[in-house]
Amino acid sequence: MKALDIIHDANANLLRNKMRSFLTILAIFIGSFVIILSSGINAGVNDFVDKQMNSVGGDGYLEMMNTAASEQVMQMFSQEVKEYNEPNKDENTDFFITEKQLEEARKIDGVKSVDAFKSASVEYIKLKDGDKRYKLNLNLVPRGNLDMDLSAGRKADPDAKEYEIIIPQNLAKSLGFDNPEDAIDKTVQIGVPGTIACYTAIKRADCITLLDAKVVGIQAPGIMAMGGSRANLSLWNKINEINNEGMPAENNSATQATADVDPEKVDEIKEKLKDIGLTAMSVEDEVGQIKTFFDAVLAVLTIFGGIALLAAAIGIINTLLMSVQERTREIGLDKALGMSNFRVFLNFALEAIMLGFWGSVFGIAVSVGIGQAINVFTHNGILKDLPTFTLVIFTPQNLITITLIIMLIALIAGVLPARKASKKDPIDALRYE
Amino acid sequence: MTNQTLLSTHGLRKSYGKRDAKFEALRGINLEIKQGESVAIVGKSGSGKSTLMHLLALLDRPTKGEIHLNGENTSKLRQRKLNHLRNKEFGFVFQSFFMNANDSVLNNVILPLKIDGVGRRERKQRAMHALKIVGLETKAKNKAKDLSGGQKQRVCIARAIVNNPKVIFADEPTGNLDSATGAKIEDILFNLNQEHGITLIVVTHDQELADKCQRQIHIADGHVASDKEGALIEDDKATREIEVYEEEPDEEEGDEEYHEDDDDDEENEEIIDRFLDDENADSDGDGFIDNNTQPHITHVKSKGSK
Repeated sequence: MKALDIIHDANANLLRNKMRSFLTILAIFIGSFVIILSSGINAGVNDFVDKQMNSVGGDGYLEMMNTAASEQVMQMFSQEVKEYNEPNKDENTDFFITEKQLEEARKIDGVKSVDAFKSASVEYIKLKDGDKRYKLNLNLVPRGNLDMDLSAGRKADPDAKEYEIIIPQNLAKSLGFDNPEDAIDKTVQIGVPGTIACYTAIKRADCITLLDAKVVGIQAPGIMAMGGSRANLSLWNKINEINNEGMPAENNSATQATADVDPEKVDEIKEKLKDIGLTAMSVEDEVGQIKTFFDAVLAVLTIFGGIALLAAAIGIINTLLMSVQERTREIGLDKALGMSNFRVFLNFALEAIMLGFWGSVFGIAVSVGIGQAINVFTHNGILKDLPTFTLVIFTPQNLITITLIIMLIALIAGVLPARKASKKDPIDALRYE
Repeated sequence: MTNQTLLSTHGLRKSYGKRDAKFEALRGINLEIKQGESVAIVGKSGSGKSTLMHLLALLDRPTKGEIHLNGENTSKLRQRKLNHLRNKEFGFVFQSFFMNANDSVLNNVILPLKIDGVGRRERKQRAMHALKIVGLETKAKNKAKDLSGGQKQRVCIARAIVNNPKVIFADEPTGNLDSATGAKIEDILFNLNQEHGITLIVVTHDQELADKCQRQIHIADGHVASDKEGALIEDDKATREIEVYEEEPDEEEGDEEYHEDDDDDEENEEIIDRFLDDENADSDGDGFIDNNTQPHITHVKSKGSK
């Protein structure tokens, strides 16, 4: 008996009792639908989180502060009372990161590069030939081969001599560019205050230096990068220079550093940095919380789907047991005509597998349809500000894996009835005297 | 036709149950059936004739003794090989037909070839050929349940010969048919025996059918009571009538036999119609899908408990 015949017969046998097969498939469909949809949402969230992570630095990106400084920051949000431990004499208790710390950080295995950067404060941004001024929140473009979530333009070159800036899409819109593409290569002006100058100035405007920078990229709206613009290193350093004009050089040290590290060794490196007094944060640390939330919701959904599938599996057992009972004589005939026990087993096992297969195919069809509807609905609704966030994503691998798992569950459910069928004695089954 | 021994049994015993509940169905049967013979196995209910047929057909294994097929001891064969032998060498015709009622006639005939793994084109060709032999090639596409009882049995014969078997086992092949239709079926079976050299082993109550066989083996209480060539003499016929009479109150046969009689009555009412047109569709639905409901299963259970 050939494989195709067996599959064909399995489907034909399911069609014999259409209503019963349909109801069993419906039960499997409910379970598979929930699981497929939650896996789709999981993929969508993961994809979005990955994009967000890349937009702020990706896998191998660490942001470092001197531990003393980070502890002070933490202290502001903590109600915990800590006992005072007198620091060692050579411990860095300052906000600044010392050259020695940077040297040690560069020596750690897996660290590719370390960039220390000094503070840079800015006032506002405006179009070169415009009047409207907007508050500016500026960061540095991270180093490393990172895929930023840009809706237009390119990533700023961290080493370029020219002053380059990436601005968020909503800022570009406020500056008058409805289409993000239009903002590319336009020149903006950044208002940079001089600390000393502003101490003596009569009007705030008198101490602001306007710095021209070229917009090279537009950051797509996202949860992590909302409102943040990013400067390349030369622009950043120029701003720092203007800020500190007339100040003693020792007050102008690096307060933050970024490191490009081997993504595999992030945890290990973080431990080692801690030993030299640097507190490092990876993007996972920041994004992790959002992901944890989604993961928990999806885990609950998947458990519900699993329970539905379990109930459906019992439905399969029930359906097939009835089928075995009804077809006792047929099984007897098949066996009398030379069908082996294993073939009889296979016939019923395959019926179970087909029930699982059709249940999951319908599950896929309906979840993909509903997933698309959800995507359209959320794009126009709650996720309007996050156009790169596709809530439900289906990958062929995911769908195939889920289908295979459901078919496996169905097969396991089919074992009991199929064994019962295969063990029938042809004589008992055919007895008619 | 050759005189080569096809099937032989040596001290064949079969018992069911254990200790007190032990029931010996066969108590030492020695037989030799030659290729091309037509053999009737006759005996009253419970005599062991069906058990004997099941053993000969390799559907069951003996408790003791040996069955040789083509000189080979089958008791040493593995189940897989037995299945294959049944598929290749044997054809089966049953009293209650056993067909997939909702499937087409063609698909019913194809079944043994499908089990054997014959390709689609070839099996269709061979099934059509088999249907031609029984004169039903025009009904190939019809559903099995739409056929009359006689037509159904002809389909079963087509199914039995589709794999070119050496032997056809026919278990009460005319038991569910009126005498005119039964005669037709008998003609087909004996024609296959005489023209194609297929060995015919018929298990029956019907003395007229048994008389048509070259040889009659009477089974009584698990023994071969007589083994004769040709038609029985008058004395034996008388004995047989008593056997039939005794059979009536048999508990085991209960519902099923009654049900079957019922069918016969219905069919008898239609005999005249059938005489006029044998192709007339019979709606009594004797295909086994229709029959295999609860009463049958309880019946099997009660059998098993003996």
